[in-house]
Parts: sequence; C-alpha cells; structure tokens
Amino acid sequence: MRSKVARRILAETPEETKIFVNLYADILVRIKQLLKENGHTQKSFAEKLDKRPSEINKWLTGNHNLTLKSIAKMQAELGEPIIHVPRRVAFSEKESIKRQFTVYKNHQFDPTVKFEEGQKTLRIPKTFQPLAHAGE
Amino acid sequence: MNTFELEIWDDEAKCCTFYTVKDEGADLNETDMFFEKYENDVIYKEHIQQLLSFVLNAIGDRHGAIDELFNRYENEVAGLPSHGHLHLGELHYHFPNFPLRLYALRITNEIVILFGGGIKDGRTNQESSLHYKWVDACNYAKRIIQSLKDGSIVINKQKRILLSFDGSSDIIL
Repeated sequence: MRSKVARRILAETPEETKIFVNLYADILVRIKQLLKENGHTQKSFAEKLDKRPSEINKWLTGNHNLTLKSIAKMQAELGEPIIHVPRRVAFSEKESIKRQFTVYKNHQFDPTVKFEEGQKTLRIPKTFQPLAHAGE
Repeated sequence: MNTFELEIWDDEAKCCTFYTVKDEGADLNETDMFFEKYENDVIYKEHIQQLLSFVLNAIGDRHGAIDELFNRYENEVAGLPSHGHLHLGELHYHFPNFPLRLYALRITNEIVILFGGGIKDGRTNQESSLHYKWVDACNYAKRIIQSLKDGSIVINKQKRILLSFDGSSDIIL
C-alpha cells in the first residue's frame, strides 16, 4: 500500500523533478561513499583540495550547489569517476540500416579475485561480461 | 502525549518500508498532514514534490535509508535513551537552501518511521517555527524506541515490517 496523499502528489510530479532528485541523491551518495572508502574525513579532504572544511561541508550537506567544476575537482582527488556519461556508438550493418548502441564502459577486472563475505567465498562467474546496454 | 498508531505509509518502494504515526481520533497521519499542507501551496509545491520524490524514489527505490542520505541530530535528542543503531533525524534533501524539513526515525536501513515537518525558517531547529514539530517527533520517537527495547514492538527483518509483540501488525502505543 501507498499513502493516497503520496500517490496523488507523485502522480503530479514532473518526470524531470524525479530525475533531478535521483541524480542529486546518487551523486551525493557516490561522493560520500568514495570519501569513506578512501578514509577521508571532511577535514582531511578539505586539506587535499586546498579548501576550507566549511566549504566542503557545504558541498556535502547541501548548503552549496554542486557544480561540474566542484565535482571534477573531487573526482580528480578521489581517483574514481563520480558521474559516468554513456556514449553512443554508431555502425552500419548494411548500407541502408544504421544502428546505434549506448555503451557503458566498465573497468578491466581480474576474474580470479575472490570476495570474502562471512563464511562464503564469492567468485566472479566465468560468464560475467562487462555491462553493456544496446539499443537502437 | 496521546495514544497513537504506528501504521504503514508506504511498502511499495523496493528498498525501504515507511511507517508513520497517527494520533488517536485524528483524520490524517502526521506525514500525510505535512505533505497535504504544502501540496497546493504556490511557493512550496515544487519543494514538496522534490521531497516526496527524494523519500520514495531516492531512498525508497534506490538507496534505502543509508547514512549518506540521513542527517542525524543525536545531540539534540538528549532525552532519548541511547540505543545503538536507532537515529532520530531528518530526511534532509540535499539541496541548497531547501526550505522544508521532514523528521524521521530510522529503525534499520529498510525500515523508517516518518513524522511531520514544516518550513525551516530559522538557523537551528530551536529557532525555527517548526520547533514544536521537532519536539513532537522526539516524543513519538521516545515511545517507539522504548517499545522496541521492552519488546512491545519487534522487527521482522525478512518481511521488512514492524509487528506488535503478539505478532499482529496493529501497533498502538
């Protein structure tokens, strides 16, 4: 079940609003998780970026709009992509038919890597293929 | 504080079940009251749509109630008993100068209880006109946390729901 009030408001919410909110949340989550993985505190990250801790705090708590420039600065320091933009690749099957694929590029991976999770050992299946979405 | 019911507000989201509180005799629960109040407000209509989308899509369908999307105010809830992973805070939609606040108690990453909220028009909760909503949220949370501690409410993690001690889904506190 879903609240009738919520259902009504959601039905009136423009698609672009939902996309915007999801993108914003995804980016914030990604940045914060990368900071955690890299063992950064807001203070240490601010020092790396040569910024004041209060400025980084504004970026991460929503008191300052994230710009492409600020995202690029963080991405350069964190060494991992924050946003990934898929590319369209065009090719001709026959002269008369032209198709396009959207390609999501994955990093190379080592299939022998094992991940320990409790007592279980997870292996990357041999059939695993890098993610790719194809569409016309 | 009156008796209130803990009822499901949304269990259709993929990652999270949202509960709300409804005072005995009230027509609407606290969360619906909050959203309905600003639903057709010329100034806040877009904000309320963003906040709802944040709750149901970003948290509910994509991430769950993870730390990264949940602002905690443990220091301000001095009256609450310390209880491990339970956090009273607000689902803070991370965007500059966002005017609305919605208070919530995170039970697990998959179960969240939503309370009411309002417009943050002061620097802190205490200085803001929604201070009384914060106090209400603290009182609801205090009773819920106590009930979880004494076993009046139990968490069913598999089904992502809360149950009364007798296994019933009707929870009156």
